[in-house]
Amino acid sequence: MNEIVTVFSAEFMRRLRSRIYVGATLAGAFFIALIIEAPIIFGHLADTSTDGIVLAGPAPLRARAATLLQRRKAFRVTSQLDALPKPVTAAFLDRHGKAAAAIAISEQHRRLHLDVYARDLAAFDEVDFRSLVPLNIELATGIQARALMPALRIDRTVRGIDHKFVDTRSAAFAHAVASGLIFVLYVAIIFTSQSIMASVAEEKTSRIAEILIATISPVNLLTGKVLAAALLAIIQIAVWVATAALLFSSAIGSIFEGSSSGLAAADAAQASRLDLVDPRILIAFTFFFILGYLQYATVFAAAASLVSRVEDLASVSTPVMLPVIGALFAAIYALSAPETPLSITLSFVPFVGPFVMFARYAVENVPAWELGLAVAVNTLTVAAAFVGAGKVYQVGMLLYGKPPSFKQIVATLRA
Amino acid sequence: MLVVDHIQRSFGSLAAVSDVSFTCGRGDVFGLLGPNGAGKTTTMRMILGIYEPDAGSITWDGRPIGLKIRRTFGYLPEERGLYGKMKVGEQIAYFGRLHGLRDDVARRRTVEWLKRLEIEHLAGRACSELSKGNQQKVQLAGALLHEPPLLVLDEPFSGLDPVNAEMTLECIRMLAARGTAFVLSSHQMWQIEHACREFCIIDCGRVRARGSLAELRRALPTRTVRVSPDSSPVRAVFTAHGATGPTVDAEGELAYELPAGTDFGVLLREVVAAGPVDAFERQEPSLSDIYVHALGNGVARGVRL
Repeated sequence: MNEIVTVFSAEFMRRLRSRIYVGATLAGAFFIALIIEAPIIFGHLADTSTDGIVLAGPAPLRARAATLLQRRKAFRVTSQLDALPKPVTAAFLDRHGKAAAAIAISEQHRRLHLDVYARDLAAFDEVDFRSLVPLNIELATGIQARALMPALRIDRTVRGIDHKFVDTRSAAFAHAVASGLIFVLYVAIIFTSQSIMASVAEEKTSRIAEILIATISPVNLLTGKVLAAALLAIIQIAVWVATAALLFSSAIGSIFEGSSSGLAAADAAQASRLDLVDPRILIAFTFFFILGYLQYATVFAAAASLVSRVEDLASVSTPVMLPVIGALFAAIYALSAPETPLSITLSFVPFVGPFVMFARYAVENVPAWELGLAVAVNTLTVAAAFVGAGKVYQVGMLLYGKPPSFKQIVATLRA
Repeated sequence: MLVVDHIQRSFGSLAAVSDVSFTCGRGDVFGLLGPNGAGKTTTMRMILGIYEPDAGSITWDGRPIGLKIRRTFGYLPEERGLYGKMKVGEQIAYFGRLHGLRDDVARRRTVEWLKRLEIEHLAGRACSELSKGNQQKVQLAGALLHEPPLLVLDEPFSGLDPVNAEMTLECIRMLAARGTAFVLSSHQMWQIEHACREFCIIDCGRVRARGSLAELRRALPTRTVRVSPDSSPVRAVFTAHGATGPTVDAEGELAYELPAGTDFGVLLREVVAAGPVDAFERQEPSLSDIYVHALGNGVARGVRL
């Protein structure tokens, strides 16, 4: 145990202080920030927001329309005028609170008519002015919009049957979060396993491996290295997730505020609440990340021990990389079809299971026995991977020159 | 005591070690000699548990060498290996901790050994910045920091200048005096002759000669006598005693090979009587001579401790 702790602490500190690790962590956080903030930044640059409008028309009609438009905070009426100038120019909109559009409202044949002069035609083409429907009905029927409002809304209670989420919005949000986390799982496993490979190759090429193997058991050496890399990966992921969470909570609101849809704005208010993320998903993510990572990292380390030069790492990493890519696709499939026989079966397949079971757990109620079986299978796989990788590692670390054949590796594992 | 008993090890069809046996007690410095590919490194790796012997046994103080025992040993492999970016002091202390030392003890001893090896000014430098000789010292410090009962040193003098080689030799003597057992290999015959008390010459995985220097010398069938000046009567005396040669060395002296059983007192008197003699020197065979004989014609085979 002391051996593992010694290797773990040395490896952890050595790599924590490395410029590559610090750089990758910060670059990752920056990249995430860029992904989240880019829509807002580009949105502002393109000035496609539809929230600020100048409303023109007869005063009583204009006032009632302004009330309805602003009711769900979809629009911000920057100015109210009796009539619009001809033509409506960008300078005019700039003078009136940098509005996105000017809308002339009128009654034609007992119906509401809008003339929209927008900076961004595409943005306003998609805008849904459903909030003005009560005013349209009032003009057509004479029934006051105020009286119509309750009739336009149907109270409803939607209850899921055997589903994880109470409504579709929560399910969609969880689906999005799970997709993001699966991608993080994939990236973290790839990056961390490759850094393990590089570390093993460095020890082999610098010939320090012989001293290490003469001193401590290869399995303990491997365990210390892999666990240190796991903790570093968790720290790295925590930084990335925290960055995403911080920016997401503010950014998503901004994105939806830019939308003209009143419904979207309401969604934004909901979606910006990070408490929609079930903490159990994050716990499951951490757990399945560790299970998946330990399987891949040990195999990657054993593979790295077979090469004599760092330059040759690619030749052994490619075959090991394929299952990770396969697992990613399986997880994407499981997200959309969590209860199919294929998804259920893949949950128990070593190396693929951590991805697939996490995907299923994130979007569906997975029976306890399935969870237990997946954890048991993957835990056993981790143990077997450590023993097998330890054997290959012990032999591989002292092999120089031509890498051993597949037959020789199998013989080593059987020994 | 280390007991290596008829160990064998093959890699596929290649028999790296066919039959090697020797013992090394506490305080002994045991030299393992042999040409490249003789099986020295494989033998050392088997002592350290890196390889399992296919046959035979290796024990330390009567017990098979398991992980717990081998962790107490120190090892300096032939191929030097250090973490290039790790600082010298940290690296030595890390090796100490790997061998079970507490962190504070490892750090204290690191400072002591850095001073003893005269590289304390390099403590904060990255290992990749050091010369080969200084890297060698760092590795040596790492191997002996935990005060091992057995130190296995594979080519410890390689890459060292004469001053540093002497410093390493001093360390070996000092630790041996404290009871540390050493198994070391080297191609630097002078250093190994002065460092070791016992020797084992192996070739093609088999023992060719084994014993102390005196025993190996006694087992050598010939002795060398240098004499000058050259003259026919003197040559006749040597021929009468069964000498081969002579060969002429760089200083113009003649060197004769004589049977080990020759009565050199009688020879000296006869040579003096045969003619003018400025120099007559009976040379004790060096380790290098023994090594060459052992590998060349196997005459020193079978010498036992």
